[in-house]
Amino acid sequence: MTGADPILSVKNLSIRFRTGDGMVYAVNDVSFDMHAGQRLAIVGESGSGKSQIALSILGLLARNAEVEGAALWKGRDLLAMPAAEINKIRAREIAMIFQDPMSALNPYMTIERQLSEVVELHEGMSRSQGRARALEVMDAVKIPDARARLRAYPHEFSGGMRQRIVIAMALMCRPALILADEPTTALDVTVQAQIMELLAEVQQAMGTAIVLITHDLGVVAGFCEDTLVLYGGRVMETAPTRALFRAPGHPYTRGLLRAVPNINDPSATLAAIPGSPPNQTHPPRACPFAPRCEDAVTACFETLPMLEPHAGTASRRACLRPVEALT
Amino acid sequence: MLNYTLRRLLAVVPTLLLLIVVSFYLMRLAPGGPFTSERPLPPAVMQNVLERYGMDEPLHVQLWTYIKNIVCCFDFGPSFSQKDRSVNDVIAQGFPVTLTYGFWSAVFVLVCGVPLGIIAALRHNSFWDYTMTGLAIFSQIFPNFVLAPIMVLLFTLSWGLLPGGGWNGGQWQYVIMPAVALGTSYMAGVARLTRGSMLEVLNAPYIRTARAKGLPERTIILRHALKPALLPTLTYMGPVFVYMITGSVFIDIFFSTGGIGQDFIDGAYARDYSILLGLAVLYAMLTFVLTLLLDLLYAWIDPKVRSQL
Repeated sequence: MTGADPILSVKNLSIRFRTGDGMVYAVNDVSFDMHAGQRLAIVGESGSGKSQIALSILGLLARNAEVEGAALWKGRDLLAMPAAEINKIRAREIAMIFQDPMSALNPYMTIERQLSEVVELHEGMSRSQGRARALEVMDAVKIPDARARLRAYPHEFSGGMRQRIVIAMALMCRPALILADEPTTALDVTVQAQIMELLAEVQQAMGTAIVLITHDLGVVAGFCEDTLVLYGGRVMETAPTRALFRAPGHPYTRGLLRAVPNINDPSATLAAIPGSPPNQTHPPRACPFAPRCEDAVTACFETLPMLEPHAGTASRRACLRPVEALT
Repeated sequence: MLNYTLRRLLAVVPTLLLLIVVSFYLMRLAPGGPFTSERPLPPAVMQNVLERYGMDEPLHVQLWTYIKNIVCCFDFGPSFSQKDRSVNDVIAQGFPVTLTYGFWSAVFVLVCGVPLGIIAALRHNSFWDYTMTGLAIFSQIFPNFVLAPIMVLLFTLSWGLLPGGGWNGGQWQYVIMPAVALGTSYMAGVARLTRGSMLEVLNAPYIRTARAKGLPERTIILRHALKPALLPTLTYMGPVFVYMITGSVFIDIFFSTGGIGQDFIDGAYARDYSILLGLAVLYAMLTFVLTLLLDLLYAWIDPKVRSQL
């Protein structure tokens, strides 16, 4: 991490949803900073609220959402911004890559139109300038024969190619930050690797900061310098990725790492974390992971641990009984 | 695309032929005929009449002559009930009338129904939405034989704004009420359908992508959502369109517009075989042409369909 001011500073973000069964507390008191060019992973299982964090930053949450906290972008709070203002930031300064390239592209519009409309809107480009930029970006994401495929529609592309187009779309205005919401989840494993490689490449070339949202620790390992582990809508641990993999501080992180299959020993059974994700219909009053934690003590069920720095490292964790204290 | 169109047009021929053969025999099977009356004609006169219309021949010969005349001269034969008029004359007189108010009725349905549905979808669960949906359900269950008299009562008898019937060469004052009365319940249907599909499309992931691009709401609706939201409406409009352009028997009778709906009823009462068969062929051809047009429109909207043509 650099000492410079962060470009994005998320402070005490909480997201609730009003549903037919009452409130659902999806994200609780999440804070993190993003610096220029940084690659941060937000890791968590389904329902941990990781996608909602990304959506809230761009004001794209569902209508029944209530948001608290702040997301400061160049000193201005994105969460409190009127629609006309945030529209100027969307795609131009902060772009998003969506999970499922099959449904994220409009099936009724040509690729060219879907790409060029971004720069026509934000940079006042003409159609032909927009086409030129689209071509440039399609080349950058390595879509073969881009010129011939400008007039094609999404259904004429494979899943991997479509995800490349979605990435190209995010790159159109050369944004300072890209929020990549599970960009490889919907793809084949081999294609996944290609897409991650591509993301790393364009990230390096453009110096864009990336928030990579994923449930796949394998994807994180090679890509992000920092990792934030989310559980039940709360930050469990945040640390430089390498340190986190070497010495997880939170029992949940440890459990996640154990659940990664080992390619050298395919006969070994996977160490799943017992239990199921928490019911989030109440605001958390204790550690959300306590019911599934093998190291939990009575205090874990009674107090809400704060995210505290681990002495002598860049890690912080919210745990009363961090892993190293037990060994 | 051209290939597809040609193939579809070619398929019309055998279908029409089948339609003619089946309808021809079905009509002849029904008891009675154009010249049956309370007091039987003297046999000699009857014989003359039958010979005049070629009805003394065996059925299959009559059918053959009928088809031959259509193929070679587009001649649908003489009317059995209207003296000295051919089926072609009858259609040439009535069909333009029906086509005129049917066309305007369809325009009314789309021009009012689609925007109403979109507005209701955008103001989802608000006062406007509820008002629109309520009105739509109300007018959808309001049959035109109730609506038409009420309209005449208000616009003709009470306020004297519009003529209560007649055609007068299709002046606009004479077209309005038939077109609106014919279209209202379909207009409501289109509004409700458009509202529903627009709501669904607005929840699609690709609309969220469009939002993430920073596009203003107007552009999102018009550029990204409108086309897919109109697809179900288009499907619904297919048969409705045919029904409207071929006119409504009730509208022709109530407003005395003189369209082919009237001819159809008269023809049925008089067992006018040639009129009925002629109109059936006309309806069938219209159905073919309109569904073909709609399918082409579908292909224009949906690139996936287009690539399969």
